[in-house]
Amino acid sequence: METKLGDKFEGKKRVPVEEGLFHQPQATGEEPYLIAAKCKKCGFTDFPGTPVCPRCVEPGTMEEAHIGKKGKLETFSIVRSALPGFTSPSIQSYVKLEEGPVIWSLITGVEPSEDALKIGMDLELVISKVRDDEDGNEIISYQYQPVKGS
Amino acid sequence: MREVVVLGVGMTRFGKHPDKGLKELGTEAIWNAVEDANIPPKDIPIIYVANAMGQQLTELRGTIAQHVVSHAGFMGMPVINVENACSGGSTALRSCILEVASGNYDVAMAVGVEKMCIADTARSAAAMAFGTILGKFGFMFVGLYAMNLRRLMEKYGLTREHFAKVVVKNTKNGALNPYAQFRQPRTMEEILNSRVVSDPLTLLMCSTMADGGAAAIVTTRDKAAKYSSKTPITIAACELVSGTPTSADAVHVPIETRASRQAYEKAGVGPEDIDVVECHDAMAPAELLIYEELGLCGEGEAGRWIDEGKTEINGVVAVNPSGGLASKGHPVSATGLAQISEIVWQLRGEAGERQVPNAKIGMTENAGGWVMDDNAACAITILKK
Ligand SMILES: [Zn+2]
Repeated sequence: METKLGDKFEGKKRVPVEEGLFHQPQATGEEPYLIAAKCKKCGFTDFPGTPVCPRCVEPGTMEEAHIGKKGKLETFSIVRSALPGFTSPSIQSYVKLEEGPVIWSLITGVEPSEDALKIGMDLELVISKVRDDEDGNEIISYQYQPVKGS
Repeated sequence: MREVVVLGVGMTRFGKHPDKGLKELGTEAIWNAVEDANIPPKDIPIIYVANAMGQQLTELRGTIAQHVVSHAGFMGMPVINVENACSGGSTALRSCILEVASGNYDVAMAVGVEKMCIADTARSAAAMAFGTILGKFGFMFVGLYAMNLRRLMEKYGLTREHFAKVVVKNTKNGALNPYAQFRQPRTMEEILNSRVVSDPLTLLMCSTMADGGAAAIVTTRDKAAKYSSKTPITIAACELVSGTPTSADAVHVPIETRASRQAYEKAGVGPEDIDVVECHDAMAPAELLIYEELGLCGEGEAGRWIDEGKTEINGVVAVNPSGGLASKGHPVSATGLAQISEIVWQLRGEAGERQVPNAKIGMTENAGGWVMDDNAACAITILKK
């Protein structure tokens, strides 16, 4: 039986922070994406997706949308305090996605320093660890990292 | 609808109260308000109590309002539990105003109480962060404030010095407030050199967790004259809104702007008429954003306003004469009613050393929570002498 990337990783379990929030690649060549919702009527897109569009307030206008592979750094802060289990310092940010929405995200794959980060820089979606839980499992989530060479 | 006035207010000192729980803090605030109102306690026929963290941080698992007010001796009347994150106190007040304005009751009491300083501080921090679903991703409110301030720096050229000036002003005011958690005036140097928590915010720019309670008793103008010789303070507006969807294809009007516009219209006043404001500066420099959002200053003028001292106690409009959240401490659900207490004292002329000269119209802004990229709630109250 083929081992899925999501099940075990070097003995540790990789557990998504929440189900139905993002797609993590199951095979090489596959890319991750965010599972958002988009209104068929007005185009409003939100992530995490909600079942009813808050602008139209009509049932049945929202459909699943796969977004967020690329974005740009809109604003950020290097946060030097953290909840138990989380890394400090962390880079917290707003990312403007190619599809329009601006979403909150942690930034990974780069030193938490002012010099390493630039407003407007190109970012790409990665699914990676945000913390270890009490049982040593890796809690994974969507995060963004600078596009190499940008 | 009948005109409603504040008859009495009261609060505990904010800060660490290791010897007091929710019941003790609530009781102290309630009886301070009862004494201030000079009302026989049995004339209070309905009570709303706001609390946000009690179920997570104390041994109480529900009906916290009844636990608190019965400890203070109040039983039998309708008692309503209110939770609206940091806006809980104002939300409880709004319900009390409606009870009296509608004629349902002649008197009503709003209470806000919070116990946050527990031995396990990590649990308190987690309880705050998990008020939003982003908590599980490592979200910190301080980072959110920092990012909003960074946007302001880029847009209008505001500097860390502007932010520190807000803290200089507010700690100077807080030092004059016997109810404040921190009563130490701070210098620019101390503020800028304190530990960076979330750039551009330093430790001395941020509010801390606190225990505390606050209460307000409202009634009609006629009834007020019967109970108390103190100047009744008219509630000209108490407006509550929730957040709106944010989207790249539409301009998002800040929640404070929407709530304040509604309040100005109801009260029949404009921002230029306001003499004193208590605003929700959980991180003190956020005050600069709020000046603009409430229409106190024009777009991009906040930096000049703090440079020119326009929001000092003796300025054009005094903002946070109490010291604001960073000096006073921020026991979530008690904050809104502590803001109301301060404005009532200011309008009565009872604010002592921190009295705003000739204050006639005051305002509170009390925002809370974070849902779908906007505050969960914002309440604006306008009070008149
Ligand atoms: Zn829609």
